[in-house]
Amino acid sequence: MAIQIKVPAVGESITEVTIANWLKKDGDVVKLDEPIAELESDKATFELTASSAGVLKIIKPEGSTVPIGELLCEIEPGATASAPEAAKASQPAAAPSAQTSSAPAAGQAPSAPVAPKATGGVKEMKVPTVGESITEVTISTWLKKDGDQVALDEIIAEVESDKATFELPAEATGILRIVAKEKETLPIGGLICKIEITEGATAAKQSQASPAASPDKSYAAGHPSPAAAKILDEKGVPGSQVTGTGVGGRITKDDAQKVQPAPAAKADPKAQTPSTPPAIAGGGRNVRNEKMTSLRRTIAKRLVAVKNETAMLTTFNEVDMKPVMDLRGRYKDKFKEKYGVGLGFMSFFTKAVCIGLKEFPAVNASINGDEIVYHDYCDVSIAVSTPRGLVVPVIRNAESLTFDQIESEVVRLATRSRDGKLSIEEMTGGTFSITNGGVFGSMLSTPILNPPQSAILGMHNIVERPIARNGEVVIRPIMYLALSYDHRIVDGRESVSFLVRVKELLEDPGRLILGV
Amino acid sequence: MQYNVVVIGSGPGGYVAAIRCAQLGFKTAIIEKYNTLGGTCLNVGCIPSKALLDSSEHFINAKSHFKEHGIEIPDPRLNLVQMIKRKSDVVKSNVDGIAFLMKKNKIDVHTGVGSFVDKNTIKITSSDGKETSITTDKVIVATGSKPTPLPFAPFDKKRIISSTECLELKELPKHLIVIGGGVIGMELGSVYARIGSKVTVVEFLDSLIPTMDGTMGKELLKVTKKLGMDFYLGHKVTSLEVKGDQVLLKAEGKDAKVLELTGDYCLVSIGRRPYTDGLGLDKIGIQTVKGQIPVDDHLKTSVDNVYAIGDVVRGAMLAHKAEEEGVFVAEQMNGQKPHINYLLIPGVVYTWPEVASVGYTEEQLKTQGRAYKTGSFPYKALGRARASMDTDGLVKVLADKQTDEILGMHIIGARAADMIAAGVTAMEFRASAEDVARMSHAHPTYMEAVKEACLAATANRPIHI
Repeated sequence: MAIQIKVPAVGESITEVTIANWLKKDGDVVKLDEPIAELESDKATFELTASSAGVLKIIKPEGSTVPIGELLCEIEPGATASAPEAAKASQPAAAPSAQTSSAPAAGQAPSAPVAPKATGGVKEMKVPTVGESITEVTISTWLKKDGDQVALDEIIAEVESDKATFELPAEATGILRIVAKEKETLPIGGLICKIEITEGATAAKQSQASPAASPDKSYAAGHPSPAAAKILDEKGVPGSQVTGTGVGGRITKDDAQKVQPAPAAKADPKAQTPSTPPAIAGGGRNVRNEKMTSLRRTIAKRLVAVKNETAMLTTFNEVDMKPVMDLRGRYKDKFKEKYGVGLGFMSFFTKAVCIGLKEFPAVNASINGDEIVYHDYCDVSIAVSTPRGLVVPVIRNAESLTFDQIESEVVRLATRSRDGKLSIEEMTGGTFSITNGGVFGSMLSTPILNPPQSAILGMHNIVERPIARNGEVVIRPIMYLALSYDHRIVDGRESVSFLVRVKELLEDPGRLILGV
Repeated sequence: MQYNVVVIGSGPGGYVAAIRCAQLGFKTAIIEKYNTLGGTCLNVGCIPSKALLDSSEHFINAKSHFKEHGIEIPDPRLNLVQMIKRKSDVVKSNVDGIAFLMKKNKIDVHTGVGSFVDKNTIKITSSDGKETSITTDKVIVATGSKPTPLPFAPFDKKRIISSTECLELKELPKHLIVIGGGVIGMELGSVYARIGSKVTVVEFLDSLIPTMDGTMGKELLKVTKKLGMDFYLGHKVTSLEVKGDQVLLKAEGKDAKVLELTGDYCLVSIGRRPYTDGLGLDKIGIQTVKGQIPVDDHLKTSVDNVYAIGDVVRGAMLAHKAEEEGVFVAEQMNGQKPHINYLLIPGVVYTWPEVASVGYTEEQLKTQGRAYKTGSFPYKALGRARASMDTDGLVKVLADKQTDEILGMHIIGARAADMIAAGVTAMEFRASAEDVARMSHAHPTYMEAVKEACLAATANRPIHI
């Protein structure tokens, strides 16, 4: 019997992943724990490993977005399967012999329903961890009755927490034995029900699900009809991003037409012919529609949420960068020699920020419900632009790091970001952010908060500007600084003072050492 | 005169491209060397050969099969002149049809040899030597192909003939030697075999119609032998000479034995070559490769505004392939993104019974190492075929062993050419053999053989055998 591999829960708040690529092909023999695919969530890329040895059967194609818990592939334990799995595999075969004989002849008279056969196994279903800070749930409705036959992943109940209602899927196929009654409140980990595991019913189901008959597992799923293929190509949408409603998941012309009803779609080329000949004379007016990656969708969602849910505003200042640049110019070679890493501006800014944060703890705080969470440490998130979008890895305990440690950490995190190798842990938990629009040439900008943080420092380009010093006009390398902050917990006095403090520290780097 | 698009060549690729361009609003012109439109297909190819195939089929039915149907007539006599004249009438009505379509779509027709002056200027030289020039934004080259001669025996067009002359013979050959057992050789060979010529086919390879699935060649050999045709497979022609009214052929078999044949006509049908003579490709820097014009996936040549379609580019030399490419190029110029699935361009041989196929052959699947299954169903088990006495032939379906997806369909039998469209449809939608097997097919029809072959491919469970 095939081992089903589903999208694992990869982290709180991640609800779906995209299959970045299959490392193994359909029909390949895979080993236990061998990586078989790369999955992409909105936060990180990670590898999916085989939970069994055997022959891989890919169900979801590359590029498809799949919710947590949904079937990705199956592994048919073959001759190479290790002993316990082989034993497991041989079990169901004993029950319905019809399974094997009818499988190739898909769609023959369905094999006579096989009475589910109890295996003696019982699956206890407990309240899953549904999210940080949720400690209990209430069973709102049982969708199945006590004693019902339920299939794996079938929704059996609706459960309510103080944040949301969610559906509870069966964790095994078998007979449902309800333990917790409707309206009963259970702590996380509390027993909800038991499922007496049976075989047979699944087998009958499986023979139906052989290639030709199954609507969602068909080899042709996502195959566009000739007309649909043309329409999709013109819209620039790959077939893998369209849900086909045709037989076996095929993409019909109608499906293709409904994809992003772009005004540019040429439904009737004839109608627009009077104006089209210029197309031949050049000056293309092509419009491309591309589906957002889950990373981009999350970014979009979060940014709007920040705008809507915080009282964000920005304060500005300017820094004369000459002292830092002089210091750096003097020691950068020695620094590189000694630590093997270049001395950049990031270490200066990070150190200055850490000192500022200590003095103005509200800038380093966040809101959690009715409480303000103050952090006695500085986990500084740094924004890194990658081909897939912006990511913000975190420099932990930046306040206790030396300049070289900060520089090395920046290099390490930036490299991992660009390679798409950042783990979720590496991106969560920052208490303050720094973003540098200067690398792209930004003179001045208003950065947006990185929730749940309350402030973000924006660095910009360094430009030689005439400024007044002691009554004289001098030319100095100037950087404008911007601090966006959440006015709900950071007052103007704190934010402005914080930024002034950062400015002072940078304009006189000796103070960084003395902390004055 | 300034055009958006100029098409050179008015065969099925060229005229279809021109019509589609005109439909899309382009100011379009078409240039044709000959006085009639339609190219090889309409004038000296598909259409006239089918006209003669149908006539000769009537003849052999009247001669050999009517009696069994209970129709007694005196021995029919052949009027070859009338047969050829009717063929010419069919051709005329078809080419007139194209002329009408050009007028209807407001496409300017220029008669003469078109050649590039530069990439935007085409010079047209008419048969009386008059030259005119037209300018255009884009050009579609659709100049087609010509029969390939034997290197040592050029066409004399009297005794050593190509398909073109073979459609215009004034007398019935006593012994027609056919060099090449491909589509053209088999079609024209069977025409003359039916109306009373002795026909001998000499083929270099070991099977007939060698590009098609092996089963088709074998079946075709069986059926055409019944017609009285002689075959020498695996024979390499070493010399071909005309002596008075006779043609002498020498060939060498695999066993090095020398074969000598004497006939009064020899049809050389060893293939066709892309035709670009006088086109002036050198003027715009296009170099042909083995006679073909190199193109990219968009059928664009190395020159930005010049496209080429049909027999002058890679791929099968088929009228319907050229038509698809004509539409493809026109729509691309309009900014659309059409597709051509070359695997699913069907191939057809108009012998009787006909041969038609689409998708992979069994030989290709074996080479690919793909796991497949086959299902076949013979015409003789078909009620419809028995009624019409067309019991020769079979349908063969190849399907993926795991997914049951149809990978190839090969038909030899009555109406195969029309039936293959069902295979194309099924495969464009990536149907499984069982999908087709579960669709209702009208009874009694030849198409039931397709359904039965699909049942056989699904799980070896045809109903009627």
